[in-house]
Amino acid sequence: MDRNGVTEGELEGRGMNKCVEQVSHLALDIGGSLIKMVYFCGENSGSEHQQGILSSKESCGLSNGNTNCSVLRGKLHFRKFETSKINECLEFMSSKQFHRNGEDCHGASVSEKNIIKATGGGAFKFADLFKEKLGMTLDKVDEMNSLVAGANFLLKAASLEAYTYMDGQKEYVQIDQNDLYPYLLVNIGSGVSMIKVDGDGKFERVSGTSVGGGTFWGLGKLLTKCKSFDELLGLSYSGNNRVIDMLVGDIYGGMDYSKIGLSSTAIASSFGKAVSEDKDLEEYKPEDVARSLLRMISNNIGQIAYLNALRFGLKRIFFGGFFIRGHAYTMDTISVGVNFCCCNAARSSIVREVFIVSHECTSCRSSHYCFS
Amino acid sequence: MANLTEIQQTIAKNDCLNDSNTSFNNTKNNNKSDKDFVEREAREQREGGGEQDMAPIGGNPIHRSSSRPQLDVSGAAIQGNFEERDPTILLPNQSDDISHLALDIGGSLIKLVYFSRHEDRPVNDRIKKTIKERLGISNGNRRSYPVLGGRLHFVKFETNKINQCLDFISSKQLHCGGMDAHLWHSGVSNENAVIKATGGGAYKYADLFKERLGVSIEKEDEMNCLVAGANFLLKAIRHEAFTHMEGHKAFVQIDQNDLFPYLLVNVGSGVSIIKVDGDGKFQRVSGTNVGGGTYWGLGKLLTKCNSFDELLELSQRGDNRTIDMLVGDIYGGMDYSKIGLSASTIASSFGKAISDNKDLEDYRSEDISLSLLRMISYNIGQISYLNALRFGLKRIFFGGFFIRGHAYTMDTISFAVQFWSKGTSQAMFLRHEGFLGALGAFMSYEKHGLDDLMVHQLVERFPMGAPYIGGNVHGPPLGDLNEKISWMEKFILKGTEITAPVPMAPPGTTGLGGFEVPSSRGGILRPDASKLNVGVLHLVPTLEVFPLLADPKMYEPNTIDLSDPGELEYWFTVLSGHLPDLVDKAVASEGGTDDAKRRGDAFARAFSAHLARLMEEPAAYGKLGLANLLELREECLREFHFFDAYRSIKQRENEASLAVLPDLLMEIDSMDEETRLLKLVEGVLAANIFDWGSRACVDLYHKGTIIEIYRMSRNKMQRPWRVDNFDAFKERMLGFGDKKPYQHKRALLFVDNSGADIILGMLPLARELLRRGTEVVLVANSLPALNDVTAMELPDIVAEAAKHCDILRRAAEAGGLLVDAMINIQDGSIDSSSSVPLMVVENGCGSPCIDLRQVSSELAAAAKEADLVILEGMGRSLHTNFNAKFRCDALKLAMVKNQRLAEKLIKGSIYDCVCRFEPAS
Repeated sequence: MDRNGVTEGELEGRGMNKCVEQVSHLALDIGGSLIKMVYFCGENSGSEHQQGILSSKESCGLSNGNTNCSVLRGKLHFRKFETSKINECLEFMSSKQFHRNGEDCHGASVSEKNIIKATGGGAFKFADLFKEKLGMTLDKVDEMNSLVAGANFLLKAASLEAYTYMDGQKEYVQIDQNDLYPYLLVNIGSGVSMIKVDGDGKFERVSGTSVGGGTFWGLGKLLTKCKSFDELLGLSYSGNNRVIDMLVGDIYGGMDYSKIGLSSTAIASSFGKAVSEDKDLEEYKPEDVARSLLRMISNNIGQIAYLNALRFGLKRIFFGGFFIRGHAYTMDTISVGVNFCCCNAARSSIVREVFIVSHECTSCRSSHYCFS
Repeated sequence: MANLTEIQQTIAKNDCLNDSNTSFNNTKNNNKSDKDFVEREAREQREGGGEQDMAPIGGNPIHRSSSRPQLDVSGAAIQGNFEERDPTILLPNQSDDISHLALDIGGSLIKLVYFSRHEDRPVNDRIKKTIKERLGISNGNRRSYPVLGGRLHFVKFETNKINQCLDFISSKQLHCGGMDAHLWHSGVSNENAVIKATGGGAYKYADLFKERLGVSIEKEDEMNCLVAGANFLLKAIRHEAFTHMEGHKAFVQIDQNDLFPYLLVNVGSGVSIIKVDGDGKFQRVSGTNVGGGTYWGLGKLLTKCNSFDELLELSQRGDNRTIDMLVGDIYGGMDYSKIGLSASTIASSFGKAISDNKDLEDYRSEDISLSLLRMISYNIGQISYLNALRFGLKRIFFGGFFIRGHAYTMDTISFAVQFWSKGTSQAMFLRHEGFLGALGAFMSYEKHGLDDLMVHQLVERFPMGAPYIGGNVHGPPLGDLNEKISWMEKFILKGTEITAPVPMAPPGTTGLGGFEVPSSRGGILRPDASKLNVGVLHLVPTLEVFPLLADPKMYEPNTIDLSDPGELEYWFTVLSGHLPDLVDKAVASEGGTDDAKRRGDAFARAFSAHLARLMEEPAAYGKLGLANLLELREECLREFHFFDAYRSIKQRENEASLAVLPDLLMEIDSMDEETRLLKLVEGVLAANIFDWGSRACVDLYHKGTIIEIYRMSRNKMQRPWRVDNFDAFKERMLGFGDKKPYQHKRALLFVDNSGADIILGMLPLARELLRRGTEVVLVANSLPALNDVTAMELPDIVAEAAKHCDILRRAAEAGGLLVDAMINIQDGSIDSSSSVPLMVVENGCGSPCIDLRQVSSELAAAAKEADLVILEGMGRSLHTNFNAKFRCDALKLAMVKNQRLAEKLIKGSIYDCVCRFEPAS
């Protein structure tokens, strides 16, 4: 499925057969484009462990910042489905008997165990469907809460969760837990949410934009006839945006507009070259179109994030969400986008660090850890 | 005669040559050798020259500023034979800069701003000179730099049709100083001429300009130009900035002293966000590459639209919900109210395309265009607001070609700013948004002196029958009136309603081919809703703010606000109803020839089209008041060379009224002072019935002679009038109890109609004031409007009246009004010093109404010592200025000759009278 980077999801998938009986504790994030699933699979079957994870002590421990979760022995699995193909997700769940394992493994009542935590808009939209097909009730967890809790967890619990990107070099960094807040969390899903996080459970959605992953994929699909998001990303890797984007140099006859700090290779107008050229869509290479689109959207997200960080004097911006999904070049592009803004405004010393959160489905995890 | 006056102008600077104008005037029609020259001349005769022929040629160098500022005329010399008509003048020290034309050559559009000299109406300059001396006006002290009157035009072309632009420039001779300026260059090559330009294309097309027009392009910095253009517009043009929310446009009055700092967002192909701190002080603080080019570029790829406008047009009928993923789509129709997102908020632009199993072809182009438009507009609004926030700026102005007055674009940007600022900030737009760069480039010429222009010196006019309505070139450049008429005849008549044309110029043709009604005009969100927004800016450097206004900043001339659709519709009907009668009058005034009929027809079409346009979009040229509408009619008449449609009617009525004046004066003189004052005011009100602007009165004319109507009217003057402050006025004038009579030093009488109104009404009142030792200044229109008396006609009327009255004669002599009549006894100066003077000044306008923010400098000067203002007639005291407050005593006198106005304004009925006296506040 993914040539360019092995996601955790794949690994889990392979291990799935082994631990089918031990699967427990499923949580869902049903977004506009993707359904993100997290489930726990114990290494050694044992209901103690599973009960352990359920206990509020456990999750408290995590949120207190204990990075070594000794009680846990097992793996968290990540899986994703396209929201439009929700039936695949239902079938998967059905086949893995998620909806029954609570009953099997625990003595708790059916009604209690048939409740799964879910977040995202789809938790509302598809609640009836889950009830009907799987007999499960979705316990709706607030999306922003989940996002923030997930991010806070990852930044504290997972070492080398965040990296910076400077001069083409990716550098993983360990965040000082005592100096984490406040930060700006940019969650790039179908749309983009920007959340100012001041502490555990203390946050505010300060901004957002409708130009996000859904735009990349949606527009990309219309423009290139790609069948999947990954295919589109793959295309963009080999494309050249100069073919379609109007660069500063195109306007100024190859010269920089140095007076205002624009280099000749800066994009003056995304897709602007399509205006003057008498070419149809078919005459452009899909790779180039995909590349331009990716740069347009990631630059834009980077810029809006940067302006919001400035506004609240936030030193750190963390980017996450499925749009990034561990693809090296997506991350690179967005980093470039953000860094472009930041470097451009280097005179403003407010935003010092820009991080990419390398796990793609923070909100999903968080929903898991919001059990209590 | 444009060129002749041009010469006078240039020569006037050299005092030694000053007296030679007349010789030019008299040396007409001599032979010419240069064939090319003759042809050009002939064209001008038809166009500019024809206009001048209509009015007496005054050759009036005094009124106009003394030189063309961008010309160095030192060492000017006439080439060749002095006897030759229109001799070439050699200006050896002329700079090669051409400050008539500046360009902004963008990636998609070329914007032109050019200045055309406009000849002022000739006025009897000798009388004027005397009055000026009398009022202490000299040319020297008025301005420290000379600025010439003229018009600023705004035109745009598509960049890929640059040849049209070059043809336009060439046909108008703009590259060598405009048509009227060709004399300077005929015989002199303009090889070294330089045109200022900005925009990326300024480099790209430099060679083409050199090759085609022989001019060099001098590149001006883009940001500089943008900022200079925006600063100029915001300072100099009233109603330039407006907000646009949910289809509703509201003009914002910007205090010039509180303009800076502001954020200027120029949305071109890309977006530049500029923080402006003052003139020439600015910084590009941000920008985005998602701009107009993205909309058009992506839109072109996705919809196969051929033009930006087509793409915009498509968006009108679009529904973005089919492609955008809304919050409701994710939440199953529910709002995510916790974070303030409604179900209809776009969660992800184009997000729905992911899940739908559809190809590009399965989506409607309309929907795609709208989604794209919303995505980009919203994004621009958001990024702009974040930048405003960052620098703590109150105001955000959006400009650039992407916006082009498109209602939905503006709404979306406004919504974004409103949404993210939680209502604390508002997006503002500029009416001349597309022309910021071109204007800025124009401003970069050093010597035109426009920089310090004030609001009151610019009069924005409707672009009348011009081929480039709203900056869009429709059809070819019109060489002369005939072509203009032909063009007007192409207007589409749809039932009773005339639709402004959307000319479709087939490529490669003249553009005169045919016109099509826009295919979509649904609701308020028309793509072309604002295309006519750019009027022609008339620069009249002599205009000033009337100094006696109590609060110029709060002053609003219009009493009736036409933003009320009911009012607009009423006046639309009234004006339309008047039209046939007016056309008859106009045609008759020109001798009823076939040519006049044709012009009359073209005028009717043009005027109707403008009315229809304004009905659709009342705010098209800024806030619309009745005064503007009435002025539009007069302007439109002039545009089709009807310079005085009521000329013969006025003459006839003047003669009839002058015949009965002696009897009237005798009657008045037999009364005591108190009765006399009442009779005089009654007389003014009664005589005000003679108004060709009123339908009711036009009907009256068919029922009796002037004097009969006047007598009947006066006999009906039963006090109390509907608004009756006569007693207060009388007490002020004659005293009452302890109060002593007040003797005014100088009274300004704003007069209205010709005939009985001025002669039997206002003149006797003026005479009474003179008798009391008050100087009287009759303030009349500069240009004809309906049957209103003009400043040019008044001296003759006064001279005629003076024959029967010593008071008037002595005062008129003292005021210099009788210089022509008394030319033989000028040296005697007789006893002029023994009388207070009666003077005449022009008010600076050519409309039945008056906007006191823009009056002639003569009037402003005359007002300085005045302590009584009398406004007479509906136009000047009811339609406008009814609520105006003055720093001195003010008397407003009018008979209401319109039922609706009577009901609305004074809760009365037709023929009710208004005598409103407001003592100095």
